Amino acid sequence: MDVRREIRQFFFPSITPTFLIRVSSVALSAYLFFGYLCIPFSIRGSSMEPTYHNGGVNFCWRLRYLFSEPKRHDVVTVRFAGSKVMLLKRVIALEGEQVEFRNGKLFINGREIEEPYVRWPYHWNLSPRQVEKDCIYVVGDNRSMPIESHHFGQASKRRIMGVPLW
Amino acid sequence: MVKTKYLFIAALIVIVGIVMAISAFPSEERRVKKRFRLLSECVSKSTEENGLTMLQRMKEIGSLFDAQCELKVPDQSLSGSYTREEISTYAGSARSQASQLDLKFYDLRVAFPEKGVAKVTLTARLTGQSAAGERMDETRELECLLKKIEKKWLFSQIEVIEVLKK
Repeated sequence: MDVRREIRQFFFPSITPTFLIRVSSVALSAYLFFGYLCIPFSIRGSSMEPTYHNGGVNFCWRLRYLFSEPKRHDVVTVRFAGSKVMLLKRVIALEGEQVEFRNGKLFINGREIEEPYVRWPYHWNLSPRQVEKDCIYVVGDNRSMPIESHHFGQASKRRIMGVPLW
Repeated sequence: MVKTKYLFIAALIVIVGIVMAISAFPSEERRVKKRFRLLSECVSKSTEENGLTMLQRMKEIGSLFDAQCELKVPDQSLSGSYTREEISTYAGSARSQASQLDLKFYDLRVAFPEKGVAKVTLTARLTGQSAAGERMDETRELECLLKKIEKKWLFSQIEVIEVLKK
């Protein structure tokens, strides 16, 4: 009898002030955590294949760069006007560096950089360009498409929202 | 107990009153946002759209713009000043090249730098399918200026903000 009452109490709790306070604090914490610190997002598009697949789900951890700066090969989310729509890209060059693609190979300051995450051969060519102050250069891992169709380039560091959790 | 019941009813009446007042007398910000909702509805296109609806939508698109509207699009021949008729014709021709279109706006931030002028920063996402069957998916950050003319907020400038600079 007691067990049955406990089960009923679990699914249909009495609305007491303590219960209301508890529910409100859980709702508020969840809203703040998932709304501002660890934002859930779904991946649309194939620009980060095969590392991240179209239709995948992840979370954007916003505190990653609170005390540090983005490094080369980090995967970051870049915002547009807000956090509802973001770009998922990989950092390939940092401020002051010279970035260049030569026949499907990445060159930073004239030195070839290994990119183990790029699985499919590509033949991009991009003339050398300097990354401006307070900016990073981001590209997707999927470079099998023509260079004109791929959304990549220099972004302000202020636009970096965070990193995917996995 | 009776007192609690009356208090609850009074609170409910106050809430309903506030909601009704907000919908009956929308703030300027809500009015501006409504223009974006209208633009989204007019540009979006379903596969079943007939010629009559298309003409009506073209006319409605024109009515959302100022007599002269400035478009600023980086690296595109589209930049310049256009009359509302030109915008309407251009939008109609672009719509006719697609079998299905869906324009959505996210993260709208409205500011009023001076009286009768609204500055809106937002993310616009256009998805759909071309008449040839190709998938479209374009996301851009926009900065729009709207002017209040004869009690209507009209688009007078649309600028595409470059998030990634190749």
